[in-house]
Amino acid sequence: MEKIRIQGVRKTFRLKRGQSVTVQGKQTDELEVLGGVDLSMREGEFVTLVGPSGCGKSVLLDMIGGLAAPSAGAVYIDGEAIAKPGPKTAYVFQQYALFPWRNALSNVEYALEVRGVSKNERTDKAKYLLGLFGLAAFGDRYPNQLSGGMQQRVAIARALASDPEVLLMDEPFAALDAQTRELLQAELLRIWEKTNTTVLFVTHAIDEAVYLADRVVVMTARPGVIKEIVDIDLPRPRAANIRSAPEFNAHRRLAWEALADEVNKAQREMELSLAAI
Amino acid sequence: MKMERITMIDLAYKEKLVTRLENAECASSTERLAVKRKVPRQLNSFICGLPLIVVLCLAWEIAPRVGLLSPIFFPPLSEVLVAAKGLFLSGVMTAHLEASLRRSVTGFVLAVIVAIPLGLLMGRYSRFERVADLLVQTLRNTSQFALLPVFILTLGIGEASKIAITFYASLWLLLINTISGVKSVDPLLIKAARSMGTSDLDLFKKVVLPASTPAIVSGTRLAVKASLMAVIAAEMLAAQSGVGYLIQNSQLMMQVPNMYAGILTLTCVGLFVNYILVWLEKKASEWKVSRDTSLF
Repeated sequence: MEKIRIQGVRKTFRLKRGQSVTVQGKQTDELEVLGGVDLSMREGEFVTLVGPSGCGKSVLLDMIGGLAAPSAGAVYIDGEAIAKPGPKTAYVFQQYALFPWRNALSNVEYALEVRGVSKNERTDKAKYLLGLFGLAAFGDRYPNQLSGGMQQRVAIARALASDPEVLLMDEPFAALDAQTRELLQAELLRIWEKTNTTVLFVTHAIDEAVYLADRVVVMTARPGVIKEIVDIDLPRPRAANIRSAPEFNAHRRLAWEALADEVNKAQREMELSLAAI
Repeated sequence: MKMERITMIDLAYKEKLVTRLENAECASSTERLAVKRKVPRQLNSFICGLPLIVVLCLAWEIAPRVGLLSPIFFPPLSEVLVAAKGLFLSGVMTAHLEASLRRSVTGFVLAVIVAIPLGLLMGRYSRFERVADLLVQTLRNTSQFALLPVFILTLGIGEASKIAITFYASLWLLLINTISGVKSVDPLLIKAARSMGTSDLDLFKKVVLPASTPAIVSGTRLAVKASLMAVIAAEMLAAQSGVGYLIQNSQLMMQVPNMYAGILTLTCVGLFVNYILVWLEKKASEWKVSRDTSLF
Protein backbone atom coordinates (compact mmCIF):
# COMPACT_ATOMS: atom_id res chain seq x y z
CA MET A 1 0.00 0.00 0.00
CA GLU A 2 1.28 3.46 -0.83
CA LYS A 3 2.18 5.48 2.24
CA ILE A 4 3.98 8.53 0.95
CA ARG A 5 3.62 10.16 -2.43
CA ILE A 6 5.92 12.95 -3.48
CA GLN A 7 4.53 14.54 -6.59
CA GLY A 8 6.31 17.08 -8.77
CA VAL A 9 7.96 18.72 -5.80
CA ARG A 10 10.10 21.75 -6.50
CA LYS A 11 11.72 24.11 -4.08
CA THR A 12 13.27 27.46 -4.87
CA PHE A 13 14.89 29.62 -2.24
CA ARG A 14 15.16 33.34 -2.65
CA LEU A 15 18.59 34.43 -1.50
CA LYS A 16 19.15 37.30 0.86
CA ARG A 17 19.67 40.70 -0.64
CA GLY A 18 23.20 41.13 -1.94
CA GLN A 19 23.73 37.42 -2.49
CA SER A 20 23.52 35.77 -5.84
CA VAL A 21 24.45 32.58 -7.63
CA THR A 22 25.50 31.87 -11.18
CA VAL A 23 23.38 29.25 -12.85
CA GLN A 24 24.35 28.32 -16.39
CA GLY A 25 26.20 31.58 -16.83
CA LYS A 26 23.34 33.75 -15.57
CA GLN A 27 23.33 35.60 -12.31
CA THR A 28 20.22 35.19 -10.21
CA ASP A 29 19.08 35.56 -6.62
CA GLU A 30 16.88 32.49 -6.84
CA LEU A 31 18.33 29.16 -5.94
CA GLU A 32 16.51 26.12 -7.26
CA VAL A 33 17.20 23.32 -4.81
CA LEU A 34 14.70 20.70 -5.90
CA GLY A 35 13.83 20.50 -9.56
CA GLY A 36 10.77 18.27 -9.61
CA VAL A 37 10.87 15.14 -7.49
CA ASP A 38 8.44 12.24 -7.84
CA LEU A 39 8.64 9.31 -5.48
CA SER A 40 6.27 6.84 -3.97
CA MET A 41 6.95 4.83 -0.84
CA ARG A 42 5.14 1.71 0.34
CA GLU A 43 3.93 1.31 3.88
CA GLY A 44 6.68 -0.12 6.08
CA GLU A 45 9.36 0.50 3.49
CA PHE A 46 12.89 1.58 4.38
CA VAL A 47 14.22 4.04 1.81
CA THR A 48 17.59 5.74 1.98
CA LEU A 49 18.30 8.94 0.15
CA VAL A 50 21.78 9.77 -1.11
CA GLY A 51 23.06 12.64 -3.19
CA PRO A 52 25.74 15.30 -3.33
CA SER A 53 25.74 18.05 -0.73
CA GLY A 54 23.19 20.76 -1.36
CA CYS A 55 20.91 18.65 -3.57
CA GLY A 56 17.92 19.24 -1.34
CA LYS A 57 17.72 15.95 0.58
CA SER A 58 17.07 17.65 3.89
CA VAL A 59 14.58 20.04 2.33
CA LEU A 60 12.66 17.08 0.98
CA LEU A 61 12.58 15.61 4.47
CA ASP A 62 11.38 18.91 5.90
CA MET A 63 8.51 18.91 3.43
CA ILE A 64 7.39 15.41 4.35
CA GLY A 65 7.64 16.45 7.99
CA GLY A 66 5.50 19.50 7.31
CA LEU A 67 8.29 21.88 8.33
CA ALA A 68 8.66 23.45 4.89
CA ALA A 69 6.28 23.99 2.01
CA PRO A 70 7.14 23.05 -1.58
CA SER A 71 7.29 25.84 -4.15
CA ALA A 72 5.41 23.57 -6.53
CA GLY A 73 3.93 20.08 -6.30
CA ALA A 74 2.78 18.37 -3.13
CA VAL A 75 3.60 15.65 -0.63
CA TYR A 76 0.89 13.21 0.47
CA ILE A 77 0.80 10.82 3.38
CA ASP A 78 -2.06 8.31 3.12
CA GLY A 79 -3.43 10.45 0.32
CA GLU A 80 -3.59 13.62 2.42
CA ALA A 81 -1.51 16.64 1.45
CA ILE A 82 0.93 17.77 4.15
CA ALA A 83 0.65 21.37 5.32
CA LYS A 84 2.05 21.28 8.85
CA PRO A 85 3.77 18.80 11.20
CA GLY A 86 1.34 15.99 11.77
CA PRO A 87 1.08 13.18 14.32
CA LYS A 88 2.02 10.58 11.74
CA THR A 89 5.61 11.74 11.25
CA ALA A 90 8.61 11.95 13.54
CA TYR A 91 12.01 13.45 12.84
CA VAL A 92 15.53 12.46 13.92
CA PHE A 93 18.34 14.96 13.37
CA GLN A 94 22.07 14.60 12.93
CA GLN A 95 22.78 16.79 15.96
CA TYR A 96 20.35 14.85 18.19
CA ALA A 97 18.40 18.01 19.11
CA LEU A 98 17.68 16.81 22.64
CA PHE A 99 16.50 19.39 25.13
CA PRO A 100 19.57 19.88 27.33
CA TRP A 101 17.52 20.95 30.37
CA ARG A 102 15.55 17.73 30.39
CA ASN A 103 16.95 14.37 31.40
CA ALA A 104 16.83 11.42 29.00
CA LEU A 105 13.51 10.11 30.29
CA SER A 106 11.75 13.44 30.14
CA ASN A 107 13.19 14.11 26.70
CA VAL A 108 11.45 10.96 25.47
CA GLU A 109 8.33 11.98 27.37
CA TYR A 110 8.29 15.34 25.63
CA ALA A 111 6.85 13.91 22.42
CA LEU A 112 3.91 12.53 24.41
CA GLU A 113 3.61 15.55 26.66
CA VAL A 114 2.81 17.92 23.80
CA ARG A 115 0.18 15.45 22.65
CA GLY A 116 -1.55 15.55 26.00
CA VAL A 117 -0.79 11.98 27.14
CA SER A 118 -1.19 11.53 30.92
CA LYS A 119 1.89 11.62 33.13
CA ASN A 120 1.81 7.95 34.15
CA GLU A 121 1.23 6.68 30.68
CA ARG A 122 4.03 8.71 29.13
CA THR A 123 6.52 7.79 31.85
CA ASP A 124 5.76 4.10 31.34
CA LYS A 125 6.15 4.40 27.61
CA ALA A 126 9.35 6.45 27.83
CA LYS A 127 10.87 3.90 30.20
CA TYR A 128 9.92 1.08 27.87
CA LEU A 129 11.52 2.85 24.90
CA LEU A 130 14.72 3.67 26.77
CA GLY A 131 14.85 0.01 27.78
CA LEU A 132 14.49 -0.97 24.13
CA PHE A 133 17.71 0.94 23.40
CA GLY A 134 19.49 -0.42 26.46
CA LEU A 135 19.30 2.89 28.29
CA ALA A 136 17.00 1.90 31.16
CA ALA A 137 19.62 2.91 33.72
CA PHE A 138 20.27 6.29 32.14
CA GLY A 139 16.85 7.89 32.36
CA ASP A 140 17.96 10.49 34.90
CA ARG A 141 21.04 11.57 32.94
CA TYR A 142 21.11 14.87 31.15
CA PRO A 143 22.18 15.00 27.50
CA ASN A 144 25.55 16.53 28.35
CA GLN A 145 26.23 13.51 30.56
CA LEU A 146 25.65 11.05 27.71
CA SER A 147 27.90 10.00 24.83
CA GLY A 148 26.93 10.89 21.26
CA GLY A 149 25.66 7.38 20.57
CA MET A 150 23.54 7.40 23.70
CA GLN A 151 22.14 10.82 22.88
CA GLN A 152 21.13 9.66 19.43
CA ARG A 153 19.48 6.57 20.94
CA VAL A 154 17.47 8.85 23.22
CA ALA A 155 16.55 10.99 20.22
CA ILE A 156 15.36 7.95 18.28
CA ALA A 157 13.42 6.74 21.32
CA ARG A 158 11.82 10.19 21.51
CA ALA A 159 10.89 10.01 17.84
CA LEU A 160 9.35 6.57 18.30
CA ALA A 161 7.42 7.61 21.42
CA SER A 162 4.55 9.00 19.41
CA ASP A 163 4.22 5.74 17.41
CA PRO A 164 4.97 7.49 14.12
CA GLU A 165 3.88 5.88 10.89
CA VAL A 166 6.62 7.74 9.05
CA LEU A 167 10.11 8.21 10.48
CA LEU A 168 12.32 10.86 8.89
CA MET A 169 16.02 10.62 9.63
CA ASP A 170 18.46 13.29 8.51
CA GLU A 171 21.97 11.82 8.60
CA PRO A 172 21.33 10.58 12.13
CA PHE A 173 24.57 8.65 12.49
CA ALA A 174 26.93 10.98 10.62
CA ALA A 175 28.39 12.49 13.79
CA LEU A 176 29.13 9.14 15.43
CA ASP A 177 32.28 7.06 15.33
CA ALA A 178 32.35 4.03 13.03
CA GLN A 179 31.70 1.34 15.66
CA THR A 180 28.84 3.19 17.28
CA ARG A 181 27.40 3.88 13.86
CA GLU A 182 27.29 0.19 12.91
CA LEU A 183 25.84 -0.69 16.28
CA LEU A 184 23.09 1.87 15.90
CA GLN A 185 22.34 0.82 12.34
CA ALA A 186 21.76 -2.73 13.56
CA GLU A 187 19.63 -1.49 16.47
CA LEU A 188 17.57 0.68 14.17
CA LEU A 189 16.88 -2.26 11.86
CA ARG A 190 16.02 -4.53 14.79
CA ILE A 191 13.43 -2.06 16.07
CA TRP A 192 12.14 -1.13 12.63
CA GLU A 193 11.53 -4.80 11.82
CA LYS A 194 9.21 -5.02 14.83
CA THR A 195 7.16 -2.04 13.76
CA ASN A 196 5.49 -1.16 10.51
CA THR A 197 7.12 2.24 10.26
CA THR A 198 7.95 3.75 6.91
CA VAL A 199 11.46 5.20 7.09
CA LEU A 200 13.10 7.79 4.90
CA PHE A 201 16.75 8.03 5.81
CA VAL A 202 19.17 10.61 4.41
CA THR A 203 22.85 9.72 4.42
CA HIS A 204 26.14 10.46 2.77
CA ALA A 205 27.52 6.99 3.35
CA ILE A 206 26.83 4.50 0.55
CA ASP A 207 27.55 1.56 2.86
CA GLU A 208 24.97 2.73 5.30
CA ALA A 209 22.46 3.41 2.56
CA VAL A 210 22.79 -0.10 1.11
CA TYR A 211 22.87 -1.90 4.46
CA LEU A 212 19.67 -0.32 5.75
CA ALA A 213 17.48 0.11 2.73
CA ASP A 214 14.90 -1.68 0.65
CA ARG A 215 15.62 0.95 -1.98
CA VAL A 216 18.39 3.49 -2.34
CA VAL A 217 17.26 6.70 -4.01
CA VAL A 218 20.13 8.53 -5.70
CA MET A 219 19.63 12.22 -6.33
CA THR A 220 21.39 14.49 -8.80
CA ALA A 221 23.38 17.61 -7.99
CA ARG A 222 21.38 20.79 -7.49
CA PRO A 223 18.66 21.31 -8.62
CA GLY A 224 18.04 17.87 -7.19
CA VAL A 225 15.92 15.34 -9.03
CA ILE A 226 15.90 11.58 -8.68
CA LYS A 227 18.60 10.12 -10.83
CA GLU A 228 18.25 6.46 -10.11
CA ILE A 229 16.59 4.08 -7.70
CA VAL A 230 18.60 1.01 -6.73
CA ASP A 231 16.56 -1.89 -5.35
CA ILE A 232 18.39 -3.67 -2.57
CA ASP A 233 17.02 -7.20 -2.54
CA LEU A 234 19.25 -8.49 0.20
CA PRO A 235 17.53 -10.81 2.66
CA ARG A 236 16.32 -9.58 6.06
CA PRO A 237 17.13 -9.63 8.92
CA ARG A 238 20.53 -8.44 7.81
CA ALA A 239 23.50 -9.42 9.89
CA ALA A 240 26.34 -6.96 10.30
CA ASN A 241 28.71 -9.18 8.33
CA ILE A 242 26.53 -8.94 5.25
CA ARG A 243 28.75 -6.00 4.38
CA SER A 244 31.47 -8.37 3.23
CA ALA A 245 29.14 -10.48 1.04
CA PRO A 246 29.61 -10.23 -2.74
CA GLU A 247 25.89 -9.37 -3.31
CA PHE A 248 26.29 -6.45 -0.94
CA ASN A 249 29.25 -5.20 -2.89
CA ALA A 250 27.40 -5.55 -6.16
CA HIS A 251 24.59 -3.35 -4.84
CA ARG A 252 27.07 -0.98 -3.35
CA ARG A 253 28.82 -0.56 -6.71
CA LEU A 254 25.54 0.14 -8.49
CA ALA A 255 24.64 2.87 -6.02
CA TRP A 256 28.15 4.27 -6.06
CA GLU A 257 28.33 4.52 -9.85
CA ALA A 258 25.05 6.39 -9.92
CA LEU A 259 26.25 8.79 -7.29
CA ALA A 260 29.85 9.34 -8.39
CA ASP A 261 28.94 11.35 -11.51
CA GLU A 262 26.74 13.64 -9.50
CA VAL A 263 29.29 14.18 -6.77
CA ASN A 264 31.86 15.09 -9.41
CA LYS A 265 29.41 17.43 -11.09
CA ALA A 266 28.63 19.15 -7.80
CA GLN A 267 32.33 19.41 -7.05
CA ARG A 268 33.07 20.99 -10.44
CA GLU A 269 30.28 23.52 -9.97
CA MET A 270 31.64 24.40 -6.56
CA GLU A 271 35.10 24.95 -8.03
CA LEU A 272 33.66 27.07 -10.83
CA SER A 273 31.75 29.28 -8.44
CA LEU A 274 34.84 29.58 -6.27
CA ALA A 275 36.85 30.60 -9.33
CA ALA A 276 34.20 33.22 -10.14
CA ILE A 277 34.79 34.81 -6.76
CA MET B 1 55.82 61.47 60.02
CA LYS B 2 58.23 60.00 57.52
CA MET B 3 59.04 57.17 59.88
CA GLU B 4 55.36 56.43 60.27
CA ARG B 5 54.93 56.17 56.57
CA ILE B 6 57.79 53.78 56.22
CA THR B 7 56.43 51.52 58.92
CA MET B 8 53.03 51.69 57.28
CA ILE B 9 54.39 50.58 53.94
CA ASP B 10 56.39 47.97 55.73
CA LEU B 11 53.28 46.76 57.49
CA ALA B 12 51.26 46.72 54.33
CA TYR B 13 53.99 44.78 52.58
CA LYS B 14 54.10 42.23 55.38
CA GLU B 15 50.36 41.83 55.28
CA LYS B 16 50.45 41.35 51.55
CA LEU B 17 53.11 38.74 51.93
CA VAL B 18 51.15 36.96 54.62
CA THR B 19 47.95 36.93 52.59
CA ARG B 20 49.85 35.79 49.54
CA LEU B 21 51.29 32.90 51.47
CA GLU B 22 47.89 32.07 52.86
CA ASN B 23 46.39 32.22 49.41
CA ALA B 24 49.07 29.92 48.09
CA GLU B 25 48.19 27.49 50.81
CA CYS B 26 44.54 27.82 49.95
CA ALA B 27 45.29 27.14 46.30
CA SER B 28 47.02 23.89 47.06
CA SER B 29 44.24 22.91 49.43
CA THR B 30 41.72 23.65 46.66
CA GLU B 31 43.43 21.07 44.52
CA ARG B 32 43.28 18.57 47.32
CA LEU B 33 39.66 19.40 48.00
CA ALA B 34 38.74 19.14 44.36
CA VAL B 35 39.74 15.52 44.54
CA LYS B 36 38.00 14.86 47.84
CA ARG B 37 35.04 17.12 47.13
CA LYS B 38 34.24 17.46 50.80
CA VAL B 39 34.01 21.25 50.99
CA PRO B 40 31.98 23.01 48.31
CA ARG B 41 34.04 25.27 46.10
CA GLN B 42 32.11 28.38 47.11
CA LEU B 43 32.72 27.86 50.80
CA ASN B 44 36.34 27.27 50.02
CA SER B 45 36.69 30.50 48.10
CA PHE B 46 34.94 32.24 50.98
CA ILE B 47 37.55 30.92 53.39
CA CYS B 48 40.33 31.94 51.02
CA GLY B 49 38.95 35.45 50.80
CA LEU B 50 38.45 35.91 54.51
CA PRO B 51 41.99 37.07 55.48
CA LEU B 52 41.76 40.21 53.32
CA ILE B 53 38.46 41.13 54.93
CA VAL B 54 40.01 40.63 58.36
CA VAL B 55 42.86 42.92 57.33
CA LEU B 56 40.41 45.58 56.21
CA CYS B 57 38.47 45.34 59.48
CA LEU B 58 41.66 45.56 61.54
CA ALA B 59 42.85 48.58 59.58
CA TRP B 60 39.49 50.24 60.11
CA GLU B 61 39.68 49.56 63.82
CA ILE B 62 43.30 50.56 64.36
CA ALA B 63 43.85 53.46 61.96
CA PRO B 64 41.48 55.91 63.75
CA ARG B 65 42.76 54.83 67.15
CA VAL B 66 46.41 55.52 66.38
CA GLY B 67 45.57 58.79 64.65
CA LEU B 68 46.14 57.76 61.04
CA LEU B 69 42.56 58.68 60.29
CA SER B 70 40.30 61.21 61.91
CA PRO B 71 38.08 59.38 64.40
CA ILE B 72 35.36 61.94 63.77
CA PHE B 73 35.01 61.03 60.10
CA PHE B 74 36.18 57.44 60.48
CA PRO B 75 35.05 56.08 63.82
CA PRO B 76 36.63 52.69 64.61
CA LEU B 77 34.74 49.65 63.42
CA SER B 78 33.80 48.64 66.95
CA GLU B 79 31.99 51.95 67.47
CA VAL B 80 30.16 51.47 64.20
CA LEU B 81 29.12 47.98 65.25
CA VAL B 82 27.87 49.28 68.59
CA ALA B 83 25.85 51.90 66.75
CA ALA B 84 24.50 49.25 64.38
CA LYS B 85 23.55 47.05 67.31
CA GLY B 86 21.70 49.98 68.89
CA LEU B 87 19.87 50.74 65.67
CA PHE B 88 18.84 47.12 65.21
CA LEU B 89 17.76 46.65 68.85
CA SER B 90 15.67 49.81 68.85
CA GLY B 91 14.01 48.63 65.63
CA VAL B 92 15.06 51.75 63.74
CA MET B 93 17.32 49.92 61.30
CA THR B 94 14.87 47.09 60.67
CA ALA B 95 12.15 49.61 59.88
CA HIS B 96 14.39 51.45 57.43
CA LEU B 97 15.63 48.23 55.91
CA GLU B 98 12.12 46.97 55.49
CA ALA B 99 11.11 50.21 53.77
CA SER B 100 14.01 49.98 51.34
CA LEU B 101 13.50 46.33 50.56
CA ARG B 102 9.75 46.74 50.09
CA ARG B 103 10.35 49.46 47.53
CA SER B 104 13.03 47.65 45.60
CA VAL B 105 11.17 44.34 45.62
CA THR B 106 7.95 45.97 44.45
CA GLY B 107 9.73 47.79 41.63
CA PHE B 108 11.66 44.69 40.69
CA VAL B 109 8.62 42.41 40.64
CA LEU B 110 6.74 44.90 38.47
CA ALA B 111 9.73 44.98 36.13
CA VAL B 112 9.73 41.17 35.93
CA ILE B 113 6.03 41.13 35.08
CA VAL B 114 6.58 43.58 32.25
CA ALA B 115 10.05 42.67 30.99
CA ILE B 116 9.95 38.90 30.72
CA PRO B 117 6.83 38.49 28.56
CA LEU B 118 7.90 41.49 26.52
CA GLY B 119 11.43 40.12 26.16
CA LEU B 120 10.13 36.72 25.08
CA LEU B 121 8.04 38.37 22.38
CA MET B 122 10.80 40.70 21.25
CA GLY B 123 13.33 37.92 21.12
CA ARG B 124 11.06 35.56 19.25
CA TYR B 125 9.45 37.87 16.72
CA SER B 126 12.07 39.85 14.88
CA ARG B 127 9.52 42.23 13.42
CA PHE B 128 8.41 43.18 16.90
CA GLU B 129 11.99 43.76 17.92
CA ARG B 130 12.79 45.82 14.84
CA VAL B 131 9.98 48.19 15.75
CA ALA B 132 10.73 48.39 19.45
CA ASP B 133 14.52 48.17 19.54
CA LEU B 134 15.32 51.85 19.05
CA LEU B 135 12.85 52.84 21.72
CA VAL B 136 14.29 50.31 24.15
CA GLN B 137 17.84 51.45 23.47
CA THR B 138 16.86 55.09 23.92
CA LEU B 139 15.10 54.50 27.22
CA ARG B 140 17.75 52.14 28.45
CA ASN B 141 20.42 54.78 27.97
CA THR B 142 18.46 57.35 29.89
CA SER B 143 19.84 57.14 33.41
CA GLN B 144 17.30 56.23 36.06
CA PHE B 145 19.06 58.67 38.40
CA ALA B 146 18.62 61.49 35.93
CA LEU B 147 14.96 60.61 35.80
CA LEU B 148 14.49 60.69 39.56
CA PRO B 149 13.53 64.40 39.59
CA VAL B 150 10.98 63.60 36.90
CA PHE B 151 9.52 60.78 38.96
CA ILE B 152 9.38 63.01 42.02
CA LEU B 153 7.78 65.79 40.02
CA THR B 154 5.10 63.56 38.58
CA LEU B 155 4.63 60.95 41.30
CA GLY B 156 5.43 62.96 44.41
CA ILE B 157 7.90 62.11 47.13
CA GLY B 158 5.87 59.16 48.38
CA GLU B 159 6.36 55.48 47.63
CA ALA B 160 5.39 55.75 43.98
CA SER B 161 8.46 57.66 42.86
CA LYS B 162 10.81 55.22 44.59
CA ILE B 163 9.06 52.21 43.17
CA ALA B 164 9.18 53.87 39.78
CA ILE B 165 12.95 54.31 39.89
CA THR B 166 13.59 50.72 40.98
CA PHE B 167 11.23 49.55 38.27
CA TYR B 168 13.04 51.63 35.69
CA ALA B 169 16.46 50.52 36.92
CA SER B 170 15.71 46.81 36.69
CA LEU B 171 13.41 46.79 33.66
CA TRP B 172 16.03 47.22 30.96
CA LEU B 173 18.51 44.73 32.37
CA LEU B 174 15.76 42.14 32.54
CA LEU B 175 14.48 42.98 29.09
CA ILE B 176 17.84 42.99 27.32
CA ASN B 177 18.91 39.72 28.91
CA THR B 178 15.61 38.03 28.15
CA ILE B 179 15.80 39.11 24.52
CA SER B 180 19.34 37.86 24.11
CA GLY B 181 18.42 34.62 25.87
CA VAL B 182 15.52 33.98 23.52
CA LYS B 183 17.58 34.88 20.48
CA SER B 184 20.28 32.42 21.41
CA VAL B 185 17.89 29.46 21.61
CA ASP B 186 19.24 26.80 19.26
CA PRO B 187 17.01 26.89 16.16
CA LEU B 188 17.43 23.14 15.83
CA LEU B 189 15.63 22.65 19.16
CA ILE B 190 12.76 24.74 17.86
CA LYS B 191 12.70 22.72 14.67
CA ALA B 192 12.71 19.48 16.67
CA ALA B 193 9.90 20.72 18.88
CA ARG B 194 7.85 21.78 15.89
CA SER B 195 8.43 18.44 14.20
CA MET B 196 6.78 16.83 17.22
CA GLY B 197 3.71 18.98 16.72
CA THR B 198 4.42 21.44 19.54
CA SER B 199 1.84 24.24 19.62
CA ASP B 200 2.97 27.88 19.67
CA LEU B 201 2.10 28.23 23.35
CA ASP B 202 3.92 25.02 24.28
CA LEU B 203 6.89 26.15 22.22
CA PHE B 204 7.16 29.20 24.49
CA LYS B 205 6.50 27.30 27.70
CA LYS B 206 8.50 24.17 27.08
CA VAL B 207 11.31 25.24 24.78
CA VAL B 208 11.94 28.98 24.53
CA LEU B 209 11.46 29.75 28.21
CA PRO B 210 13.59 26.94 29.66
CA ALA B 211 16.28 27.47 27.01
CA SER B 212 16.56 31.14 27.88
CA THR B 213 16.23 30.73 31.64
CA PRO B 214 19.99 30.99 32.31
CA ALA B 215 20.13 34.32 30.51
CA ILE B 216 16.99 35.52 32.28
CA VAL B 217 18.41 34.59 35.66
CA SER B 218 21.64 36.45 34.83
CA GLY B 219 19.54 39.48 33.99
CA THR B 220 17.67 39.02 37.25
CA ARG B 221 20.87 39.13 39.24
CA LEU B 222 21.95 42.38 37.63
CA ALA B 223 18.45 43.81 37.96
CA VAL B 224 18.15 43.04 41.66
CA LYS B 225 21.45 44.82 42.29
CA ALA B 226 20.38 47.78 40.19
CA SER B 227 17.05 48.04 41.98
CA LEU B 228 18.77 48.05 45.38
CA MET B 229 21.16 50.77 44.27
CA ALA B 230 18.41 52.84 42.76
CA VAL B 231 16.26 52.76 45.85
CA ILE B 232 19.15 53.92 48.05
CA ALA B 233 19.87 56.83 45.76
CA ALA B 234 16.21 57.79 45.69
CA GLU B 235 15.95 57.66 49.46
CA MET B 236 18.95 59.92 49.83
CA LEU B 237 17.32 62.60 47.74
CA ALA B 238 13.75 62.53 48.90
CA ALA B 239 12.43 60.24 51.60
CA GLN B 240 11.52 60.02 55.25
CA SER B 241 12.46 56.37 55.61
CA GLY B 242 14.73 53.71 54.16
CA VAL B 243 18.39 52.92 54.62
CA GLY B 244 19.38 55.55 52.07
CA TYR B 245 17.53 58.14 54.12
CA LEU B 246 19.18 56.85 57.32
CA ILE B 247 22.66 57.20 55.81
CA GLN B 248 22.02 60.64 54.40
CA ASN B 249 20.28 61.89 57.52
CA SER B 250 22.95 60.53 59.87
CA GLN B 251 25.54 62.38 57.85
CA LEU B 252 23.58 65.63 58.09
CA MET B 253 23.17 65.14 61.84
CA MET B 254 26.84 64.20 62.19
CA GLN B 255 25.85 60.83 63.64
CA VAL B 256 28.77 59.32 61.79
CA PRO B 257 28.72 55.84 63.39
CA ASN B 258 25.07 55.51 62.37
CA MET B 259 25.96 56.49 58.83
CA TYR B 260 28.56 53.74 58.63
CA ALA B 261 26.14 51.32 60.27
CA GLY B 262 23.72 52.00 57.42
CA ILE B 263 26.44 51.55 54.80
CA LEU B 264 27.59 48.27 56.35
CA THR B 265 24.03 46.97 56.54
CA LEU B 266 23.61 47.66 52.84
CA THR B 267 26.85 45.88 52.05
CA CYS B 268 25.75 42.84 54.00
CA VAL B 269 22.34 42.78 52.31
CA GLY B 270 24.00 43.15 48.90
CA LEU B 271 26.45 40.34 49.59
CA PHE B 272 23.74 38.03 50.86
CA VAL B 273 21.44 38.70 47.92
CA ASN B 274 24.29 38.28 45.47
CA TYR B 275 25.27 34.90 46.88
CA ILE B 276 21.69 33.68 46.70
CA LEU B 277 21.40 34.84 43.11
CA VAL B 278 24.71 33.33 42.10
CA TRP B 279 23.53 30.05 43.53
CA LEU B 280 20.25 30.40 41.68
CA GLU B 281 22.07 31.18 38.46
CA LYS B 282 24.21 28.12 38.87
CA LYS B 283 21.15 25.96 39.45
CA ALA B 284 19.37 27.41 36.44
CA SER B 285 22.23 26.79 34.05
CA GLU B 286 23.32 23.44 35.41
CA TRP B 287 22.36 21.74 32.18
CA LYS B 288 24.69 23.94 30.16
CA VAL B 289 28.03 22.49 29.25
CA SER B 290 30.01 25.25 30.85
CA ARG B 291 29.30 25.17 34.54
CA ASP B 292 31.40 28.14 35.53
CA THR B 293 29.66 31.11 37.08
CA SER B 294 31.62 34.11 38.21
CA LEU B 295 30.87 35.70 41.54
CA PHE B 296 30.35 39.15 40.14
